[in-house]
Amino acid sequence: MTIRPASTTDPLAPRSCSLAIADRLKIVPVLLGLCWATQACAAPWQARRSAGPTGLLGQETDRQEPALSGNGQWLATLLLRDGRPSLLLQEQPSGRRVPLPNLRGLTPHRSPSLSWNGRYVALVVQQGPRRQAVVDDRASGRLHRIQLPMGLEPERLSLAPDGRRLAIATVVQGRPQVQLFDLSGVLEPDLPPAQGLRGPATPMETP
Amino acid sequence: MTRLASGLGAALALLLSGCMGTMPLPMGPLNSQLVQQGSHRDPSLSGPWLALIANRTGRDQVELVDVERQRPVPLPGLNRPDARPLSVGVDGTGERLAVVREVAGRTEVVLYRRGLLSTEIIPMAPAGVPRRAALRADGRELAVEVSRDGRVQVDLIQVP
Repeated sequence: MTIRPASTTDPLAPRSCSLAIADRLKIVPVLLGLCWATQACAAPWQARRSAGPTGLLGQETDRQEPALSGNGQWLATLLLRDGRPSLLLQEQPSGRRVPLPNLRGLTPHRSPSLSWNGRYVALVVQQGPRRQAVVDDRASGRLHRIQLPMGLEPERLSLAPDGRRLAIATVVQGRPQVQLFDLSGVLEPDLPPAQGLRGPATPMETP
Repeated sequence: MTRLASGLGAALALLLSGCMGTMPLPMGPLNSQLVQQGSHRDPSLSGPWLALIANRTGRDQVELVDVERQRPVPLPGLNRPDARPLSVGVDGTGERLAVVREVAGRTEVVLYRRGLLSTEIIPMAPAGVPRRAALRADGRELAVEVSRDGRVQVDLIQVP
């Protein structure tokens, strides 16, 4: 009987072992992908994450009234600063904060809304004793103060992603009302890149 | 004629905006319709679609308006008699609506797909009480304000 070293008695053993490790390592991303796909199919709402830290030291406080830009690059939320809700604009998913100097001193903020590429930030601010709807144009640095007819004060608002229309919730004679305004003569459109190259957007039809 | 009036209105708005702030043009006919129909709150505007919570007969319900055609669009199966909507968001195609509503003492977020007439409850994980939901204009992601463990947080959820 000849006893051979393991390497010779079973020449494939060590090689197969090393190959198996290498193969396993190569397979890991594939397995992870399969797991993700399987999970996504089995539990479709599992792809989620928290909005993450505010990036403000010592101010990990409540976050309210989220708004996403149409392209998902920007997230606006309200958080308490000095006891007043204040707008925080962050790039996603990095969480990088973007300063909004036009909005300083106009707290409390409420009801933020973002355009498609995040160029426009619309919200309700406090201007002295009155609430006011404003649109901050981050490209030009201009703050548009929206004057409502009959001295109405806004409760909430929603800016269309292309920046062409604004819906404002007010209270008229004790009754909540929503009014629409055309901003096409005021704001340049903020469109998805493909539409921006083609020109003005056309309304999307219902599938 | 309409274009001329619209152009003059826009010019007037620009002129006045220089000294008084921005004067937006009210969308008169549609605003009048909304006033006549009852009270409305919590608007969400995306593309040509306006979603809001209306109260016509003493009961809150979600409505969707085609702003271009100036007419409401039916939402069969969304407004249950035992549910009270708290907030609504719509995507740019008007196909998906995210609604936070109270049903039998609990609060839930649902995604309504208009083409499929389906209403799907979106689970909160970890558990929490949703308070407000905003849908991205391309419909791919949902931002939900959630009350959880004594804190108010924001969850970002991909829409499958």
